[in-house]
Amino acid sequence: MTDFNLVEWRFERRLDPRPAARIVALAVAAAAAALVCSLLFIAAGASPRAAFAALLQGSFGSLRAAGETLVKATPLIFTGLAACVAFRARIWNIGAEGQVFAGAMFAYWLQHNLTGFPPFVQIPVVIAGGIVGGALYAGLAGVLKTRFSVDEVISTVMLNYIIVYVLSLLLLRGPWSEAGGFFEQTPKVDPDSALPLLFSGSRLHFGFLLAIVTAGLVQMLLTRTPLGYEIKAAGSNIRALEVQGTNTRRLILVVLLVSGALAGLAGITEVYGVHYRLKAGAITGYGYSGIIVAILGQLHPVGVVVASVLFGALLNGATLMQIKTSVPSALIYAIQAILLLFFLAGWAACNFRLRRVARA
Amino acid sequence: MSKIPRLSVRHLTKRFAALVANDDISLDVMPGELHCLLGENGAGKSTLSSCLYGLYQPDAGEIRVDGKTVQLRSPGEAIRAGIGMVHQHFVLVPGFTVVENVAVGTGSGWRLGRAEALSRIEAICSTYGISLNPHQFVGDLSVGEQQWVEIVKALYTGARLLILDEPTAVLTPEESRRLFAIVRRLTGEDLSIVLISHKMAEVMQSDQVSVLRKGRLVGTVVTSQVSRDQLTTMMVGRSVAAPTRAGDAKAHGETVLSVRGLTQLRDRRPVLDNASLDIAAGEIVGIAGVSGNGQDELFECLAGLAHPDGGKILLDGETLQAYSPATIAAKGVGYVPSDRFRDGLVADLDIGENLVLGQQWQARWRKGPFIDAAALDANARTAISAYSIAATGPSAPSRKLSGGNAQKVILAREFAKATRLLLCNQPTRGLDIGAIEFVHRQLLRKRDEGCAILLASEELDDLFALSRRIGVMFRGRILAVLDTKKATYDEIGSLMAGHRSEAAA
Ligand SMILES: Nc1ncnc2c1ncn2[C@@H]1O[C@H](COP(=O)(O)OP(=O)(O)OP(=O)(O)O)[C@@H](O)[C@H]1O
Ligand SMILES: [Mg+2]
Repeated sequence: MTDFNLVEWRFERRLDPRPAARIVALAVAAAAAALVCSLLFIAAGASPRAAFAALLQGSFGSLRAAGETLVKATPLIFTGLAACVAFRARIWNIGAEGQVFAGAMFAYWLQHNLTGFPPFVQIPVVIAGGIVGGALYAGLAGVLKTRFSVDEVISTVMLNYIIVYVLSLLLLRGPWSEAGGFFEQTPKVDPDSALPLLFSGSRLHFGFLLAIVTAGLVQMLLTRTPLGYEIKAAGSNIRALEVQGTNTRRLILVVLLVSGALAGLAGITEVYGVHYRLKAGAITGYGYSGIIVAILGQLHPVGVVVASVLFGALLNGATLMQIKTSVPSALIYAIQAILLLFFLAGWAACNFRLRRVARA
Repeated sequence: MSKIPRLSVRHLTKRFAALVANDDISLDVMPGELHCLLGENGAGKSTLSSCLYGLYQPDAGEIRVDGKTVQLRSPGEAIRAGIGMVHQHFVLVPGFTVVENVAVGTGSGWRLGRAEALSRIEAICSTYGISLNPHQFVGDLSVGEQQWVEIVKALYTGARLLILDEPTAVLTPEESRRLFAIVRRLTGEDLSIVLISHKMAEVMQSDQVSVLRKGRLVGTVVTSQVSRDQLTTMMVGRSVAAPTRAGDAKAHGETVLSVRGLTQLRDRRPVLDNASLDIAAGEIVGIAGVSGNGQDELFECLAGLAHPDGGKILLDGETLQAYSPATIAAKGVGYVPSDRFRDGLVADLDIGENLVLGQQWQARWRKGPFIDAAALDANARTAISAYSIAATGPSAPSRKLSGGNAQKVILAREFAKATRLLLCNQPTRGLDIGAIEFVHRQLLRKRDEGCAILLASEELDDLFALSRRIGVMFRGRILAVLDTKKATYDEIGSLMAGHRSEAAA
């Protein structure tokens, strides 16, 4: 029998959070987030049950819906991986947004001159264009940082603004604008340059496969290669890395190039896999969402894929939710933020434990 | 008369997973007592102090302060219980000033107000004769000065029991003497002090010594009743010879490193002032000097971390100063930095990974595009046994290594890397005597292999035992380079204080 006067509960810092603790924290965070979302749904005048059901049905209810969820997840996987690589090295690349634009624009620039060539020429050029465009644009921030000590947070954000206006200029009255069109967009691209669809009856395209393979490659890069080693070391103590004979300027540049290349791929999957034309609306927002996805995924490639699919499901299910219940689909962005907050809190809580001890 | 002990530890046990870092430890510290903890690297001294300071929670056992059982869940509670601590590795905020560090870090907080904090700090400094500028940023202070900040911080909390974890490891002999004077004043005021040190001369000044070995308490003895040798035998389990003058290398060869008129300015003041030096293959040249007289700058220039404003560095006749650390390392230069956790180790990498830090692209650690985990593992196992690094294995995270064991990881890596030139800045700092003896042997082995070695140490014993010549640094200058056989401690001591001697060669 326990004498409850002699014991007390106390919070202690954990030295090594156990995996089980992490899973429990995740579950609790998810439950708490669901609770808060329910309150939001009620406030919006819908029954939480119906809203969640609609969300689920809209995102995974049919093969078509599931395909659409993965289509939405695809660019997020790329931008999430972009943030993951950079953030692990403690290089704060906030510029995935701009790099998505750069990838899409560079790919379009290369590809629209190749109209008429067969797919096995155009598609590789599109993919390479996305990689190079994103990498070059991030590389600009890298040069600014390593040559002129410009903080990458500032430079990448500035570059995000610049490229949006450059695209607008090119589309408005520039060489890329659609003849006779009213919208800021290019004409449709040559169908032979489009990323092939994976199934009939769904818009799921080759870009998703590319994203999954890329996540695997990034995982391999981070855990098994010398570059991954350097990224880990830079994230912990970049000075020691430098002192012991690693060229850290080059490392910073390389990490930004890789990060930018990943972001650039998000640009081409949207332009050549979904919209078949280049316009700002097709590629806006993925860079910033990628940061949230990367953090939710614990800067881990597998986590990034899972978090991206979750976000894709929310975005996709929102439409049906709005139709079936009165909940506005824009509420999804609030739900994303709630998820982030609860998960962050959950992970922080992992570092503590509740222990019963004898009272002094 | 039976007084109540200031501190009683009863059956304290602390485990890290399978490792028992403290195993059933019991000891008493009386008011006004200077109590030493002695033990090899990794014996569990810092772990015990961390338990006493509320940083770790013991798995079993009891801690009593002034006869009252206390539960120390956090440093805040330890401070309230009257316990203060100076850590082995500093926990200061570099971007804060001295006052801010002292007031913020101690939990007594801003409520006191900045002005009052400032006046109390100034009072402590003047009472104990510590010279510190309270408004300086801690990041700009030398390691020795940071140590004083830590000490002021501990005194500021009004502790009745002060734990000092290797405080003198980073102090100059002169500063250490000052610290001991302060320690003795404090014990005179009935404060109790738990001191951790690897320096036998300091240990011998204590009232009692508790010896730890592999987490267990070997025994507590009254210092005046034991000899140095008895203590080392208790600690290591065998007797260790004090460093003695090593024989010279059979032959030393051509000049490997040649430094000519090296000058470096900081805020237009020279931190290196026209320093010149030669080292031949198979020769150890010592650098003596009170820390902060340009040693770190000299090493940083040689390792390619800083660029001199004047002068020349030649390695095997080739100019070096335009090179990056990467290129210099590739030329067979090993560098053991003085600040091991800042410059030498990456805490998030494991031992195996740290042992190849900077060499991660080399073919021998790679298998195609991948890092060869098996090669890293084998390499780590060799180093762990050759340097007797106390760790669970190659994949033990470096952040959990004890201070001395962390240093051994760096030594293992740099000694293996250095083929032409080995730069060692304070390599024995924080090592136990057994390990120091080991490092001495390794340095001599490297020398006999024909490596040129530059060795800076605040321990004159190290320098006299190992080097063929000793250069003395003062205010960025190398005042003289003396032949060790002809030099005396006094002569070097007076040069260290800036008195030019006639014997300068
Ligand atoms: N947080 C931790 N997790 C796991 N093991 C640890 C941790 N901290 C210390 N250890 C291990 O416990 C043992 C004792 O370490 P401790 O730091 O107490 O040694 P020490 O006596 O202070 O040595 P030194 O003289 O080198 O500073 C070592 O083997 C160390 O690797
Ligand atoms: Mg220690």
